[in-house]
Amino acid sequence: MNHLIKAEFRRLFATRMWSGLLLAAALLGGGMMGAMALVGPENFTPPMPGMDTETGLRSILGILGYTAFVPAAAGTLAVTSEYRHRTAAVTFLFAPRRWQVVAAKLATYAVAGLAYGLILAGTAAAALFAVAAASGTSLGLPPGTVLALLARIGLAMVVYLLIGVGVGALLRNQVVALCVVIGYLYMGETLLMMIPGVNALYPVLPGGATASLTDFTYLADAMSQELGSTAVQLLPPAAGALLLTAYALAASLIAVIIPMRRDIT
Amino acid sequence: MNGDRLKIEVSNLTKRYGALTAVRDLTFTVEPGVVTGFLGPNGAGKTTTMRMLTGLVSPTSGTATIAGRPYGRLPRPSRTVGAVLDANACHPGHTARDHLRVYAAMGGYPDSRVTDLLDLLGLTEAADRRTRGFSTGMRQRLNLATALLGDPRVLLLDEPSNGLDPEGMRWLRSFLRRLADEGRTVLISSHVLSEIQQLVDDVVVIRRGELVAAGPWSRLAGPPAVLVSSPDADRLAAALRVSRPAPRVEAVEGGRLRVRGLDAPDVADLAAAHRLRVHELVTENTSLEELFLHLTTGKAAAP
Repeated sequence: MNHLIKAEFRRLFATRMWSGLLLAAALLGGGMMGAMALVGPENFTPPMPGMDTETGLRSILGILGYTAFVPAAAGTLAVTSEYRHRTAAVTFLFAPRRWQVVAAKLATYAVAGLAYGLILAGTAAAALFAVAAASGTSLGLPPGTVLALLARIGLAMVVYLLIGVGVGALLRNQVVALCVVIGYLYMGETLLMMIPGVNALYPVLPGGATASLTDFTYLADAMSQELGSTAVQLLPPAAGALLLTAYALAASLIAVIIPMRRDIT
Repeated sequence: MNGDRLKIEVSNLTKRYGALTAVRDLTFTVEPGVVTGFLGPNGAGKTTTMRMLTGLVSPTSGTATIAGRPYGRLPRPSRTVGAVLDANACHPGHTARDHLRVYAAMGGYPDSRVTDLLDLLGLTEAADRRTRGFSTGMRQRLNLATALLGDPRVLLLDEPSNGLDPEGMRWLRSFLRRLADEGRTVLISSHVLSEIQQLVDDVVVIRRGELVAAGPWSRLAGPPAVLVSSPDADRLAAALRVSRPAPRVEAVEGGRLRVRGLDAPDVADLAAAHRLRVHELVTENTSLEELFLHLTTGKAAAP
């Protein structure tokens, strides 16, 4: 098992995707958060409450949570590239117990997801505090709470990366798997929120669970107001965290069990 | 495992994909110490059989074992078996060294092994280039290097001549010969027979998923024939027919004779004894191609 994890780390570090992923974390964390803080949520279209209010601050943190499709896509890309470039057969020749290979990948990508989440949350915190200090804005929440919320977002990224790995291992076709992952996380859930009745499910979908981590209801509220449906009630943060972990476990389990007996041709 | 002589045994192996039977009740043995050619037209089931041998495809019924065990039950499979089933298997963003280092880690082999194999396969100069720019031949060699990481006693190569230039082919021939001479088990599949003709000792021939012939190539091919051109062909034929043991003589176009059952010196001596002229004397080995066509077109297929 240690051999397999070592091999997966070597595989990950050998591609350019790894540095690209860390760069994306810094750009989305520091860059996007900095830009949002500089512009100020009150100047968004449509305008949102300012950073000096709790709602405004939670909103821009919540928007950061919406970038979770990026690590998810990276996980999918990494795992499906073995099938796309036909190295899966070589890998299973070296390690015929296929579940161990997938387990090693999950362990490796959990660490990669953690690095991604740390950089994302760290650069976002730095950008947010720097802009607030420079512009003399007092943030709508105490710094400790802001950091805790960012840490939750960072950890959610680990979960999303693992969900991406799971979907990739299940579907194997790179293009199809990427379309499913990005399509669902980036657009699918938002669309689901618009369908009356189905939007009641939103709190228990991965997006709703992530939103509950920062209690980010602004988007959902705005949407239900627009559509005249009842407001979405998110889960408490702890329940949201548990649910997200359950999603990651389910994705991992599927990823480990499914490839066992499939023919590699 | 060093010095071990390991057998590959396939027995009653069958693989069905829905209504299609890719491999049907296949039974054969591959011996150590020789190079065995696994032959058959495209789509005969060679690749499916090799993938069942290595556990990548599960058989519908029957067994395929290496050293008495199914692939998945070998303690450290890459130490026992090296297989190249897809010569293009490499991530385009990885360098040759990266690729080998991943699998060296997976099999638990030291990095020095990576350097050695890059060297052995002539990839040292290309080692730090991304495989995106590699030719088919270079990818072929990279995959062969991967298979050799564990210094395996059994080598399985699926269509190794694809993408190799004549020089690469010559190198591969001598390399596989050396491995076989060390008592290793070598099984190579091919549909391009002329390229592996000089290489194989034993052959296993399949057609439409079924065994057609198996055994030492020399036995399947029969004794060589001698082709004689002589202006005195009629008298030579008569003289040959009365000699003991009597060879089989047939007239072929251009006034030549094909003689089976005598070798070239015998034919020459006999002609000299009868004071008959010989203009040309050629020993004619049955080519694998002919044998193969003969076997797979069904004429001699029934045992």
